[in-house]
Amino acid sequence: MGEVMTGAYLGEAAIWIEVLSRHGDVATRQRFTSTPITIGRAYDNDVVLDDPHVAAHHLRIVRSDEGVLTAEDLGSRNGLYLGRGRDKRSEIALDGDHDLSIGATMLRVRTASFAVPDEQPVIRGVRFWPAAIACIAGVFLLAVLDLWLSETTEPKAIRYFTPLLIIAGIVVAWTAGWSVITRVFRGHARFALHFLIVSAGMLAFSFYDQAAELGAFAFSWTALTTTSYLVAWILLGAIVFAHLVAVNPSRIPIKLGVAILVAAAGISMQTLKQGEFRSNYGQPVVLNRLEPPALRLVSPQREAAFFADAAKIRASLDKARTEEPSGGDGFADDSDD
Amino acid sequence: MTERRFDRTARRVLAFALGIATFAAHAQKPAPVPTVPPPAPPEEATPTSPPPAVPPPEATVPAAPPMSAAAESIYAAARPGLLQIRTLVEAAGRQSSIGSGFLVTSDGLAVTNYHVVSQYVLEPKTYRLEFARPDGGQGKLKLLQIDVANDLAIVQLEGAKLPHLDFDAAALADAAPRGERLYAMGNPLDLGFTIVEGTYNGFVEKSYNPRVHFTGAINPGMSGGPAVTQAGKVAGINVAKRLDGELVSFLVPASKAAALLARAKTEPPLDPSHSRDEIDRQLIVWQGDFYHALGEQGFRGTSLGPYEAPESAAPWFNCWARTNADQTPKPRAQLDSTSCVSQSSLFIAEDIETGRADVMHAYVRSIDLNPFQFAAYVSQYYGAGSMIRSWSRKRLTQPECHEDFLERGDGATYPVLRAVWCARAYRDFAGVYDVAITTITQDREKEALISRLSMQGVSYDNALTLAQRFVGEVAWAK
Repeated sequence: MGEVMTGAYLGEAAIWIEVLSRHGDVATRQRFTSTPITIGRAYDNDVVLDDPHVAAHHLRIVRSDEGVLTAEDLGSRNGLYLGRGRDKRSEIALDGDHDLSIGATMLRVRTASFAVPDEQPVIRGVRFWPAAIACIAGVFLLAVLDLWLSETTEPKAIRYFTPLLIIAGIVVAWTAGWSVITRVFRGHARFALHFLIVSAGMLAFSFYDQAAELGAFAFSWTALTTTSYLVAWILLGAIVFAHLVAVNPSRIPIKLGVAILVAAAGISMQTLKQGEFRSNYGQPVVLNRLEPPALRLVSPQREAAFFADAAKIRASLDKARTEEPSGGDGFADDSDD
Repeated sequence: MTERRFDRTARRVLAFALGIATFAAHAQKPAPVPTVPPPAPPEEATPTSPPPAVPPPEATVPAAPPMSAAAESIYAAARPGLLQIRTLVEAAGRQSSIGSGFLVTSDGLAVTNYHVVSQYVLEPKTYRLEFARPDGGQGKLKLLQIDVANDLAIVQLEGAKLPHLDFDAAALADAAPRGERLYAMGNPLDLGFTIVEGTYNGFVEKSYNPRVHFTGAINPGMSGGPAVTQAGKVAGINVAKRLDGELVSFLVPASKAAALLARAKTEPPLDPSHSRDEIDRQLIVWQGDFYHALGEQGFRGTSLGPYEAPESAAPWFNCWARTNADQTPKPRAQLDSTSCVSQSSLFIAEDIETGRADVMHAYVRSIDLNPFQFAAYVSQYYGAGSMIRSWSRKRLTQPECHEDFLERGDGATYPVLRAVWCARAYRDFAGVYDVAITTITQDREKEALISRLSMQGVSYDNALTLAQRFVGEVAWAK
């Protein structure tokens, strides 16, 4: 900080011209100690830009007698703009906080006296790898358990390997994708963090899925399993949100919006698809897997109550029969005689 | 998977060639045969068309001439009364299906099968009916009456003093002698009118809707044609054949046709725009009788492992047992099942068959499956069962189900069940439903009895009553 006061000219702090990348990172940075500074495509400028939309002599930075830095357009075709604004300016007073836009290039001008924010703390000792590996191991374990408990035919190793390989493949590809994105925007991949996010999400779903299967039987509540896809999509939305925040923790509302959009799109797509499938093949909604009788927690219906409920279906069938069947003349017949 | 195969066995055995008429339409496609059959060679044998088509009395005496000679004279006598019945697409003016029929009165009333005219009955605006006679005469047909349960229809053509066939007195009394020679006539595959020799073999024992077992070759297109005695009198109407046997064919008894004819003479003709209501009415009457009879006959318990399973005591069920004990690889749970299917199918349209009830029981016990795996194994049998097969959304609503654990009486006599009730409605017919109830015993970890009662074309109340009785009989063995 002390350097600010040691500038070569009294009252004239050094000026930094920063050329920014499209994402706002600094691409080049040049130091000047005197004004005016000219910017343009021609080689007699102080800052030479290769942007074809920039004029040969496009911009000049001057300091007024009061010490205010101003950017002046030198009569270029594409003009001068403040940040991403749409109003063409002939000159802009510079404060160091706002970017300038000439042609397709973003510039930032700051003096040596520009106050930078405090440094962010470095979090040491947070290790994502162990947690991520524990989560993915949990996912595999639950998958194997599920496969084993539903195995009713000759045991074959391939039945276990294929699903596990598919899970592994998806996790690796997904993590790699997010790492590449993070690498592009942030400079480092954060592979372990992304790996942790996806494994934790999958573990959460595996747990829910198993719990829903058992609960649907135990409480005789089929809706638990038939709606588990809702939970799956909501979890996917949450995972996407976590990945986006890991890439860059700014613009949280937009990222939240993206996550909600992903979940909503997934849910509506699958709901429509399920409805279509049911109306094409006449599949009823029933529990798809029974559990050992000992897991029943709900007390059974009395016979009269069961048949009273069965009788209630009649009204809805009578209503359905008068409605035109949706879509075309769907005909599902797998008979082979 | 295992259950599918199971169903298939039952179905193959049941496979009636009911779609005879439309099958014929497909079969004749490759050969552009003219729709008017060419004049048959023994033309000289039919100079006596106007008088009643009675063959010479000699033909009936036991010491008959060689069979071929008998057939020749019978055919000659009956031929003028035969009809080919064609269903034409109104817009195209071409036939979409064909069958046979025969005149029974001099003023143009004729008998055929319901399934021959079913397209027209269900879609009177899309189709129309026409006839063709062996002498080349053609014209429009009017539909007078239908009898869905007996697969019969009465149609009428314009004309007077027409040659016609009479019913056999013994057949009307359902007392024809077994082994009697019968001659089935019709126009198979649109190839021209033919006569087929065969034998009368009495009523089909296990058929709920009375059917005569005729040992002879009935082919697609002959449906609705007459099967006559050596005296040339109608003993039955060609209706179906079994695809899994040889020469196993079926006739509708003449008495049913005579009854429908009597109705056609006295009652006003069917209004084509309300024919679905008439089918609906007949289905409701039929199911009332059938499911009432089923209830009357009751259930009898059969022991399966530690359980007692109800099987229908009615005689119209065809029952089959199956075990997976001999499967390779060795099954991990042993399954022994019985399946009884009622012989009571009703043809309504090519994509609507109804009227069948079936009872299935499977006793399953684990060989080396743990309780979770065993529950997963049993789950294959849980659900709507065969209801989801051959589903047409044009004809049926989506099934809806109610499922829960079920407790009956005191817990000491009856095991707790997991039960699922699934039902769907017929779009074309109010008040009839397909219903299936499946129960799985929930008292043991590695043993279970799976029971299912399926009812097609049943009223909701009848279904509830019968299902409740059925479920009430699933118990522990005494």
